[in-house]
Amino acid sequence: MNICGYYPESINEGEGLRASIFISGCRHRCPGCFSPATWNFKYGELFTEERQAEIILDIKNNPLLSGVSILGGDPFFSAEEVNDFIDLLRQEAGPVPIWIYTGYTFEELLAMPGTPEFGLLERCDVLVDGRFIKNLRDPSLLYRGSSNQRIIRISESLAAQKVIDWEPLYSF
Amino acid sequence: MALLNRIYTDQEQMLDEVIHLGEEIVASSNLDALRENANLNGESFSGKMSKFGSEYAKWYANHFVMPNHLVQAIQDNIVYVHDLDQYAIGTTNCIFIPFDKLLAGGFNTGNGSVRPPNSIMTAMALVAIIFQSQQNAQYGGVSANKLDYDLAPYVSKSFVKYFRKGLDYFEEGDEAADLGEISMGRSDLQEQYPRTFKYASKETESETLQAAESLIHNLNTMSSRAGGQIPFTSINYGTCTSPEGQLVIQSLLKATMRGLGSGETPVFPIQIFKCKQGVNQEKEDPNYHLFLMAAECSAKRLYPNFANLDAPLNLQYYDPANPDTEFATMGCRTRVLSDRFGRNHLSGKGNLSFNTINLVKLGLEHGIALGRRREADERGFYRELKHYMDIATDGLLHRFEIQSRQKAKASDFMMREGVWEGGEHLSPDDQVGDLLKHGSLSIGFIGLAECMKALYGKHHGEDEEVYRKAYDLISYMRKYCDEQSKRHNLNITLFATPAEGLSGKFTKRDRAVYGKVSEIVDREYYTNSFHIPVYYTISAAKKIELEAPFHDLCNAGAISYIELDGNARNNPAAFINIVKFALSKQVSYFSINHPIDRCTSCGYEGIIGATCPSCGQHENDVHIRRLRRVTGYLTGDYQTRFNAAKQAEVRDRVKHGI
Ligand code: SF4
Repeated sequence: MNICGYYPESINEGEGLRASIFISGCRHRCPGCFSPATWNFKYGELFTEERQAEIILDIKNNPLLSGVSILGGDPFFSAEEVNDFIDLLRQEAGPVPIWIYTGYTFEELLAMPGTPEFGLLERCDVLVDGRFIKNLRDPSLLYRGSSNQRIIRISESLAAQKVIDWEPLYSF
Repeated sequence: MALLNRIYTDQEQMLDEVIHLGEEIVASSNLDALRENANLNGESFSGKMSKFGSEYAKWYANHFVMPNHLVQAIQDNIVYVHDLDQYAIGTTNCIFIPFDKLLAGGFNTGNGSVRPPNSIMTAMALVAIIFQSQQNAQYGGVSANKLDYDLAPYVSKSFVKYFRKGLDYFEEGDEAADLGEISMGRSDLQEQYPRTFKYASKETESETLQAAESLIHNLNTMSSRAGGQIPFTSINYGTCTSPEGQLVIQSLLKATMRGLGSGETPVFPIQIFKCKQGVNQEKEDPNYHLFLMAAECSAKRLYPNFANLDAPLNLQYYDPANPDTEFATMGCRTRVLSDRFGRNHLSGKGNLSFNTINLVKLGLEHGIALGRRREADERGFYRELKHYMDIATDGLLHRFEIQSRQKAKASDFMMREGVWEGGEHLSPDDQVGDLLKHGSLSIGFIGLAECMKALYGKHHGEDEEVYRKAYDLISYMRKYCDEQSKRHNLNITLFATPAEGLSGKFTKRDRAVYGKVSEIVDREYYTNSFHIPVYYTISAAKKIELEAPFHDLCNAGAISYIELDGNARNNPAAFINIVKFALSKQVSYFSINHPIDRCTSCGYEGIIGATCPSCGQHENDVHIRRLRRVTGYLTGDYQTRFNAAKQAEVRDRVKHGI
């Protein structure tokens, strides 16, 4: 698996200060995608064990982080490897809250029980879902690109078998 | 005529200097000198006029006033005397204004007397007038250290007026009835006269907001200092928990968020929100909602900054019964709280002057960077540091003598009206010395990071061992200041110099001597005080943790910043967490920098790259106003008002949260 971006501290991909990791590869091919270069699974750098260890150490040592955000591409196309990374991360750094971004919808993922994709969903705390739709683009939206995309609390939604929206901790 | 300073002997050279001074100003040929102060338009007529005065005053101080060894130390490029143009005439630096006293008793501006105000509208208007009158009596900043407490009584006055009127309008009672002390907190009155109470509350709220808006407008538009300089005003607030005080805080924040005429971010006054556990830090605290609002305002407008009343050096003087003991700052970071003569409160005194030490040059002379030795010569370094600190102290004392000899009438408003505590008891011809001793004399320092690099090859952000050495160095400087305080029986304090105007001057002259020295003298500026260099990549938390312990040492004031990239207003949690983290680490004074760009075509504010995300215009076609902070103050447009060194520093800042 390759990653095509890593920001040790970001305020743009979820609530609080977060470490953001971008996983290469996406097959959704949304028209107007902000970076088609990331569709390629070979884009960026190989996510080696050393690189993983480095990033995990950053996260472990940063008391200001509210968590980690995993984006892409679409990490759900590399679900197995991402799952392994998350397990390693939590083994080393404790129960780190994770936001994950995908072009799938919550309902699509819900229909795949038993798959690595579903496992990935279960591992994370907040899901930003849905393909990017060009004419619904709205730069004023929090943490997402187009208005069809939703920010979802995963475990509550799984329990309720329907989407339960995430609410910000503070709002300005 | 005073004696010619021995350092200069050649009369002809002196004449050349004087002529050259004038020529440079007339031709605007030295842009750095003209832009020394980000707040002054040095290329305007009035700016040039004031430049003539100040440049000659500096020249005169150099040749005829300052002690020889001080002039030598300046020439050595190790000591810098701030506001040298004010040295010879004995002006003082800055002050915290006792607004409560001035408003309650009325005052005289020199052109006429002013009665105590009877409404919040008038009170806020008078605050601007007091700021303006005071700033002509000194050269530095003017600050309100507890504006919420100072103004709360006038909110009450407005409320009482509306309440009595309401009793009559709504026929709920007798306008002149004796109801005890009417205030916004009286729930019994609210129950008994509900319509009247509601009316009075609404009217008072709208009057207070209007008053706050006009205060902020006034403080941004009164170019009353020479050169069209807007007075450096700061206002501190956040801890008053009466409904009236809360309304003052809320209105100031609301007005600031609304912005100026066309919604642009106000540059003045600098605003400081005072953070105190039990008052505004946790959900159950009475002013917690105002802390959140302050964070929102800061994420939108860069102000307020955050003052930490719980940091040990501030907490030791804190008396919950006396808001004048609450730590507050001049926006630029200046702190005066303790006083060896017992005035352990803020208002009625200020800083008198400060001299700054160029740590980098001392580091170069005694370190490994120039290849002269394998190991740092620490003994030589400390010997020379002490030598120059002695000279800097002498300079402060010498200047203090001049300041002390001045007559009360020279600082007119400040003494006559008792803005400086006790001044009201002096006759116009009395000397002010005995009062000024309550103020502070400060030794500042600049470039700790480059100094460490020069001495040991690494700065204090890069290496734990070097960090300990850096901490020891600043501890030594603080101890030195404490000893000098005892010895001279004066308040001599250690200052984390903001380097406005100075940033770049030391560097330029050091470069002329040493050439470019990699990672030490290769930029256009030296790093502020004890900061981890702005160009060094480090996590926000680590930067805060490393800088925090220095706050406790710098009893004349310090500030730490975090640079945030991205639109801070979209992520309240990140903003609030960072502020709380800094406070928990005992940072005394803190602020988050983030870019605020404004498209002058459509008015969009946020982050603007080459094209405006709202209207799509390109920066080549429309002006994008880029607001940045310099030394605690915002400045309108960093590309035109900053000097070269400051522009370079802003360019190099490493941002957190890309
Ligand atoms: S899901 Fe995201 S990365 Fe994939 S095509 Fe759509 S916008 Fe691009």
